[in-house]
This record gives sequence, structure tokens and C-alpha cells, in this order.
Amino acid sequence: MRLIKAQLWKQAFVALACLAALAPVYWLVTISLKSEVDQFAVPPRWFVFKPTLAHYADAFLARSFGQYLITSATVAVLSTACALLLGTLAAYALARFRLPRKLDARLALWILSTRMFPPIVTAVPLFLLMRDVRLLNTKLSLIIVYTAFNLPFVVWMMRGFFLEVPRELEEAARVDGDSRLGALRRVVLPLVAPGLAATAVFCLIISWNEFLFALVLTQTDAAMTLPVGIAGRVTQYEIKWGVMSAAGVVAMLPILIFALAVQRYLVRGLSLGAVKG
Amino acid sequence: MTINFFRHERALPYLLLAPTVAVLLALSIYPLIYSIRVSFQTGAHAGWSPGNFSRLFADRFFLAALGHTLVYAVCALTFEFLLGLSLALLLNEALRGRNIFRALLLAPMMLPPVVVGVVWRLMLNPNFGAINGTLKGAGLDTTALTWTASPRLALASVICVDIWQWTPFMFLVLLAGLQAIPQEPYEAALIDGSSRWQTFRHITLPLLKPAILIALLLRTMDLLRVFDQVFILTEGGPGFATETISLYIYRTAFRFFDFGYAAAMSFVLLVLTNIISLLYIRLLQRQEAR
Repeated sequence: MRLIKAQLWKQAFVALACLAALAPVYWLVTISLKSEVDQFAVPPRWFVFKPTLAHYADAFLARSFGQYLITSATVAVLSTACALLLGTLAAYALARFRLPRKLDARLALWILSTRMFPPIVTAVPLFLLMRDVRLLNTKLSLIIVYTAFNLPFVVWMMRGFFLEVPRELEEAARVDGDSRLGALRRVVLPLVAPGLAATAVFCLIISWNEFLFALVLTQTDAAMTLPVGIAGRVTQYEIKWGVMSAAGVVAMLPILIFALAVQRYLVRGLSLGAVKG
Repeated sequence: MTINFFRHERALPYLLLAPTVAVLLALSIYPLIYSIRVSFQTGAHAGWSPGNFSRLFADRFFLAALGHTLVYAVCALTFEFLLGLSLALLLNEALRGRNIFRALLLAPMMLPPVVVGVVWRLMLNPNFGAINGTLKGAGLDTTALTWTASPRLALASVICVDIWQWTPFMFLVLLAGLQAIPQEPYEAALIDGSSRWQTFRHITLPLLKPAILIALLLRTMDLLRVFDQVFILTEGGPGFATETISLYIYRTAFRFFDFGYAAAMSFVLLVLTNIISLLYIRLLQRQEAR
């Protein structure tokens, strides 16, 4: 009996934690669907209100949020593709070759250390450099910066996945006449494909969520990402809560779907491969 | 032919690594060096001048921002760790619906930080926010509870938002650590008749230490650079109450266009971050050596 009671207490505590985690998100969704009358009601209307899609139409058709959405998607996809291409090759080299004077281990650590800089430290000089080469307010500047930002992550994740593939498989392929890169393509890459997919999804999430670089490098509608667009609306004097919430919900949805897709690798991705969940 | 083959083979790792190294040199290391140059430039002098660095020590806004950042980091880290550990311990035991709970708990940390800011502006709005609205509905007087608009409550409010968002991270990493602990020591402890607290203190905690250190290290790095949610929630205000170092550097560079001083401050942040991360890595290495 005491055991059952303890179990119930635990269930209650965990359920409360889930409620605390989700209620604010749910509140955002309801605000995006409420008319202004329902938004400002006291006490708050959690469940009973007349849903409307007017704010979504307002944000994405009447205002420029549709354009921000396209910019966010373009930048995320292209920077992820670049980082994956370059980073996977480097990761393979670090996982499979012993370079003289421990160069491989030192390079791996150096690559990781570039990821540890606080973003504001590089944001200031990157703004000045991008201004000098006239790339401010372009998608290209963000694609370049996000590629560099995601590279260390790709290298460390993929290095871990490559290390888990037994060398013998590759050696067998090479005895059969494959070149080193041929063996990589035909034998190793198919085996690390789930890891590669998870790494890609993480890069997409990181680029999609990124705010500081985007804020510093883009200020015009032509190159603004969704987070910067939302932030611009928040800090104005008159805030359109419905529009802002609708944009927030749209910014959040793909991320939640992606996160569920990579749940198995979540711990690994969040700890840069340090903890294997 | 054979010689050629080996030559090719020897060059291959360098060829594979070259693009990554080049990109990082150009976009991480070069900006850093450029930033050093900028930090030694002041408006008055054309050449090198340490003016920006000596200014730091007399700038009470900078010292205040440093203080806010440290308070923010220490408070958030403590609560996130304790809450995350409790949840991890609870969910590590067989609990019905564990996987569903785990998936639900993860939502906050995956959200775009800007959306987190928006969510909590809606929740904490003094007039119609869900929190004050609910309190008012229960008949309480909420005139003093202006959360992010109140100089006294603002810092605590943004810290609470951080705890809301990042406790799931601690929970997730610590749960992974707990599940990697083998069963044998627990069986031995059971036979020896040790109490639950003794088991936790002498078996769970030492074996969990590497995961704890990694979780604390990664969180500390992120806390010291905090920017996004605070920017949306308060923009450092009211007044200066929630200005963190990153926000102050941003303001100096992109509102006052004093890039030299901003660069100098960013080096202080970089050095601070490095010292703290080195301490953690030392602890981790000592742990692994044992």
C-alpha cells in the first residue's frame, strides 16, 4: 500500500512538471487563434473561445512573415547542406587516419574549441567584415556564417558515428578493389546514414532557431529570418499579440516535429557527442 | 603505380580536412584576430591604444552587466540542476508512461529562443497575461506583480524563464547518465543493507559525476552568453535591471557604434568563459584518470 502511494506521488510530480512545461506553449497557440476580445479576457480563457485564423492570414499574407519564413527555410537548408558536405569529409579523416605528431587529435580539439566562442564575440567582427565586403542584409552572409557555426558540430557528431563502424568492413571492401573513397561511399556512408540524417536535422534546428547573428547581419525585409521578424514586432510600441503569436507558432511547429524525429539522438546531439544516450 | 597510390593515400586526410580548416580559419579565427585589432582602436588615436581596456574597470554599467550575468548563471544553473536531477531520478525508476513524459518534457528546450521570449511575454503581461489573469480570477491583488516591468522582479523573472526552458536539458543528460550505470553495485548495496540515501550518496552520485560535469559545463557556457530570450523579454530593462554582458556588448556595438569598446568587452567574456570551461575540463579529466 505504501509503495502504491509513493508511486502515485511520483506520478503526480512528473505530471505537474509536464503541465508546467506545456501550458505556456499551449497558451501561445490559443492566443494565436483568439480574437482580440478573447485575448484580453480576465480571467484568461484557456479552453472556451471562438477560434479564428485571422491572425495567421494577417501575418503571412498581409505582412511580410511569409517572406521571412522562406528566408529562414532557404538559409537553414543551404547552410546545413554545406556544413554536412565539408564536415562529413573532415570527420571521416579524423576517425580513420592517424596523422603524425597527434595532429588528428589536436585538430579535432581545435575544431571543437571554435564552437565554444560566445557568439557575440564573433558577431561584432563578422558584422564589420561583412560590411566591408558588402554582404550585409543578404541571405548569403547568413548561409556562410551558419555553415561555419555548424561545421564543428557536424565534425564531432559524424566522427563519433564513423568510429562506431568496424574498420574490417572497409578493409574487406578495399580488398575487393574499392578505393578509399569508394569504400566510404559504398560501405561506410550507408551504415552511418541514420546518424547523418540526425546530424542534418540538428543543423536545421540550430540554423532555424539562431537569432543573434541574424539580428546583427540582416535588418531589411529581403534577408530577415523569422526570429528577427518576430523580434522586430515585439519591441515596437504597439504590439499585435495575435500576429506575433501566429508567427511564433509557425516558427515552432517544424522544430517540434524535427525534435520528435531525432529523439533517439537528442542527448548525443545536445552534448556534441559527449554523452551517448 | 604503387608508389603513386601510396602518395595519394598519404595526402588524402589532408585533402579531406582542408576545406573545414579553411572555413573555420576564415570565419572563426580571422574575425577573432580582427577583433583584437579593433579592440585596440579608440576614436582619439589612430594607432594602437589600450584605452578600451582601461575604460572597462571604471565602467559601472559593464560591472553591473557582469554582476547580472553571474547572478543569472549561478541561480539558473542551481535550480536547473536540482530540478533536472530530481526528475531524472524519478523517471529512471520504472514509472508508467515514462517515454511519453520524457517526450513532453523536452518541448521547451527545443523551441526557438525568440518564441520562448514571446511565450513568456504573453504569460507575464501584468494586465492580461495568463499568470496574473489566473491570480486575479482567484481574487488576488496583482498590482505589485508586474514581473518583467518591475525593477525588483525583472531579473528573477528572466531567470525563471531560463529555468523553464533548460531544466529539460539537465533532465535529459542526467537521465542518459543514470541509465548508463550498471546494476551490480546496486545489488551489492541491497545485500549490504545500505539505506536509500547511502546508496544515492555512495553509488549513484559518483557514477553519475561525468554526466553531471558535462551537463553543468554545457549549461554554464550557454548561461554566460545568454542573449536571445532576455532581448525579447526585457531588452535589458527596465532601466538596466536585466542587462547581461552579451546585451551590453550588443548595445555598445550596434546602438552606440562603439565597436572598439564592444570588442574589448567581448574579450573579457571570452576569457571568463574559457577559464570556467577549463576548470570543468580539469575536473572531468581528473575523474577519468581515476
